[in-house]
Amino acid sequence: MSKEIVIEHLTRVEGHGGIEVTVEGKKVKDVKINLFEGPRFFESFIEGVKWDKVPDVMRRICAICTAAHNLASIRAIEKAFKVEVTPQTELLRDLLIHGEMVESHALHVFLLALPDYLGYPDAVSMVDKYAKEVKAALQLKKAGNMVHNILGGREVHGMNERIGGFPTIPKEGDLLAIRKAMENSKGTAELAVKLFASMGIPDFAHSDNTLMALDPGKKFGYIGDYVLISDGKRRKVEEYRELTNEKVVKHSHAKHSSYNGSPIMVGALPRVLLCNDKLYGTAKALFKEHKGKLDPKNSLTNNLAQAIELVHSVDRCIEDIDELLSNGLEKEGLVKIEPRKSSGIGAVEAPRGILYHDYSFDENGCITKANVITPTAINCANIEKDCRVAVGKLITEGKKNLEASLELIARAYDPCISCSVHLVKVKFL
Amino acid sequence: MTKPKIGVYSLTGCAGDQLMILNLEDDLLALLGNVEIVAFQEASSVKKDTEVDIALVEGSVSTKTDLERLKDIRKKSKMLIAIGDCAIGGCVQAMRNQETTLKEKMKKVYDKEEDYFEVLEPYGLSKYVNVDLELPGCPIETTEIRQVFLSLLHGDIPEIKDYPVCVECKLNEYQCLLVDKGMPCLGPIIAAGCNARCPGLGIDCVGCRGPIKDETNAAEELRTLKEKGYDERYIENRLRFFGANFEGIAKLSKMLKEKTSGKGGK
Repeated sequence: MSKEIVIEHLTRVEGHGGIEVTVEGKKVKDVKINLFEGPRFFESFIEGVKWDKVPDVMRRICAICTAAHNLASIRAIEKAFKVEVTPQTELLRDLLIHGEMVESHALHVFLLALPDYLGYPDAVSMVDKYAKEVKAALQLKKAGNMVHNILGGREVHGMNERIGGFPTIPKEGDLLAIRKAMENSKGTAELAVKLFASMGIPDFAHSDNTLMALDPGKKFGYIGDYVLISDGKRRKVEEYRELTNEKVVKHSHAKHSSYNGSPIMVGALPRVLLCNDKLYGTAKALFKEHKGKLDPKNSLTNNLAQAIELVHSVDRCIEDIDELLSNGLEKEGLVKIEPRKSSGIGAVEAPRGILYHDYSFDENGCITKANVITPTAINCANIEKDCRVAVGKLITEGKKNLEASLELIARAYDPCISCSVHLVKVKFL
Repeated sequence: MTKPKIGVYSLTGCAGDQLMILNLEDDLLALLGNVEIVAFQEASSVKKDTEVDIALVEGSVSTKTDLERLKDIRKKSKMLIAIGDCAIGGCVQAMRNQETTLKEKMKKVYDKEEDYFEVLEPYGLSKYVNVDLELPGCPIETTEIRQVFLSLLHGDIPEIKDYPVCVECKLNEYQCLLVDKGMPCLGPIIAAGCNARCPGLGIDCVGCRGPIKDETNAAEELRTLKEKGYDERYIENRLRFFGANFEGIAKLSKMLKEKTSGKGGK
């Protein structure tokens, strides 16, 4: 007899998705993640648009990864036109992307994932018992948003980070305000690690994972031009097509990615595991203390990795601000751009993993071709794999338990479905 | 007093307007304590299939599923508020409406022509249902959504700005980027409410709050920018980022279509 388990609408995730499982007797016949976010065709409608406003449109792919989309878009354009930005711009970008990580991880770890482990439908319902923690989490999230606000101009779809630099340089007092907010929230970030390290993280999805993360250079971070892979290889982002092998899958939803025939996992867990030698300070100490719990074969430990990144990113924001202030802030203006017929690929670690933007331009600097690969699209095949493994193990537990467990898996990846620009078929059995 | 029942719903978009509600941070818990949330997909697992007093809907109608959900939400809500540009004019994904067919878009992005998703050309909610209030922005402003909540809790109708960004620029005494600096600023035709945020940073308005409804003099904006040296297609693209479904801009596009257009910018 065939039985279907359908989670029609995943909640506490960004965007719209569901999980569909078909079970025959005690055997899993099929698992599908349905992403039924309507397609928006960014790569099509951006064609013909002149370079100067391309990031303004493309960052609207996603709200919560807005700075990552913006920066990936900007980097692709700067590479195409061979633009070199100043060290101050590099530092401000680093601050912005670490601020985004704080905002997004605070939201996800405390407000979206934690309710699962404590048995609540949402963070607001947790307030009666955990008022202090929820309020502290909101303050941490706010500290991240301050970075968005002050550097980008607003929380979502900030516009002050542009091709060639920042038109308006933040004021010293505003940077100090961010610094203070980060200092005040340090304890909350560390609490996240403590909470997820003490929680019994289920291992029903235990299976091999192929991990990928951008090589941030010397210090742990989220911007890079090379991809580190768990098989020990290091490849250029320009080879992203071979690294993702996006394929349209019939009877499925998002284009599926694979590397050497296996699904791929990107996100906090791959970053922390592949780049742990680049961690330092408190985050490094916490990694050492809990590294036994960060299991490359258990995607559910992603939340703990996010918590470690929270600690790192809070510290890094403070570090970047100190460096900016000790260098002295300078009004630099934007680097002059000379468009040409060319192409470029920009990659950034969004909170949920590697994000690629690839553009080609004509001689006037108008887009002739665009391709975007988002982390949730890359993760999709891996989430399905995890769900298949979990269903196999949990099949005896009855429908309700199974549904909750599958939602737990999907949510551990912090999927951002509005991001998944590539969607194919939603098939309801 | 019983707390008003609120549903926050999301159609096709970036989920940024829901996120802006969560970004109320300092006021979030106090605010949510005064209402009963019956649906808020991004923040809560609670999903009750029930009538609501106020439905806040973000996202554009881009698939048949979106449309069915919207009609259902309308039926179950006393008041329906469109939050954000997607829900008002379709936002950026509507940019090529009437220019490129859905088939062409499918072919380009998915290399297939079949209509996998039962896709509709993206539009705002008011094309299909009666909308009681439209709160513009990409994304909406936290100050505005806070004001909407407070007004409604007090039984008032929230005030939505119907004058251009230029007014806020003048109030802030910012230098005019269009007249003084020759930058391609869309401030004259775009709805205010952002406190002229971009011009304040030295960035020309890209139009993310959408054109002022029924009062968009797109032809004059085009004439002014052409005078500053920008070519027609460049200006038209910019007007269409957030305004393709607005009457004034659609008309202008139609007019330009009959002429030959160049490429590139200045």
